[in-house]
Amino acid sequence: MIKNKHNAVAIIVVLLFGVALFYVGTDGFQAYTAESARTAKLIDEKPSFPEVTLEDSQERMYPFSEFEGKYVMLTFIYTSCTDVCLQLEVNLAEVYDQIPEKYIGEDIVFLSVSFDPTRDTPEVLDKYRSYFESDGETWRMARIPDQQELDSLLDDFGVIVIPDGEGNFVHNSAFYLADREGKLIDVMDYTKIDEAAQKVTSILDAEAGE
Amino acid sequence: MKQAIYGLVLYVFLMLPPVANLAESVMTIHMHMQMPLFVIAGMLMTPYLKQRFPTFFAKWNRNGVPGIILFMIIIMYWMLPRTMDEALTIYAIEIFKFISLPFLAGVPLRDSWIKLGKMGKNIIFVTLSLLCGFMGILYIFSPEQLCNNYLIVEQITLGWAFLFLALSIIIYFIQQFFVDKTEYE
Repeated sequence: MIKNKHNAVAIIVVLLFGVALFYVGTDGFQAYTAESARTAKLIDEKPSFPEVTLEDSQERMYPFSEFEGKYVMLTFIYTSCTDVCLQLEVNLAEVYDQIPEKYIGEDIVFLSVSFDPTRDTPEVLDKYRSYFESDGETWRMARIPDQQELDSLLDDFGVIVIPDGEGNFVHNSAFYLADREGKLIDVMDYTKIDEAAQKVTSILDAEAGE
Repeated sequence: MKQAIYGLVLYVFLMLPPVANLAESVMTIHMHMQMPLFVIAGMLMTPYLKQRFPTFFAKWNRNGVPGIILFMIIIMYWMLPRTMDEALTIYAIEIFKFISLPFLAGVPLRDSWIKLGKMGKNIIFVTLSLLCGFMGILYIFSPEQLCNNYLIVEQITLGWAFLFLALSIIIYFIQQFFVDKTEYE
């Protein structure tokens, strides 16, 4: 019996180790994929949008602080994309339509950032913009010409872009919401359009009510 | 002793940066080749470790149950989509992979397996095949990209590899009921 005691202790130790390992490894049984861990971390840390220079579909160059004082709804895309980006932008257009018109342009702007600056020139972006009936003003599409600035932004926001070797990229997609100071406050599931629109509207409503 | 050296050589070889990078560049090879090879490296080193620390294994893994639970915990941990991603992006997790798979999965598996009874072995076969089957279905039918570092195509390939593994375990499990081992021994 005495000898079996060690065995029993070992079972308990191993089980405790297992619980601890899974607890730490999944942020307390919350995040089983790196993507869910990433969004949870972003919402927790609220990083500021780094100072990058954007060039939009109308060839205007400006820093991100152009949008200071407004909420910014962001997506990351590249126009040669044939699957996720299209869906992402179609969904973003639906969110755009669901937000009360009085807020659009005044309190919130939409911005689609391309991470493929070599191919996504202002002309290409302008054509792409028209597919989604974006007006290029309250919903802008822009590239970040400086590769270093682009990389630091993708890195800060945890956007992982993998070139697949055939000119396409695979990337994680979401709606990103930055507040009036340019701080990231939420990362939303891009497949849940109504939920995202409601969330944004309620934030804007709450502020308008004050 | 010879086995331990083979194990050590395999272990060091797998950790060489070019070898590790190559193995991790393809999702299925990462999960179904690199990781099992680390476990095998650990298994090859087991007899030597048991010779060095005979009392440790006899005392703490007397009936094989603690060891086999530890083995299951470690392999389940490495089946999570997140840990595969983090092994690529976080260096500490990669190091943990190099240590945990041989020494916390391979060594206890070999030590426990001979100590387990028929019933214990059957439980492990069934659990493993269910687990692999579940992971296979998850990776094949998940509409989302589960790992940020791998393409969806690779994810589906990995799913099929899991199903194949599950099927292989089931076939092995079933055949032992029909084959009389003593005829061959």
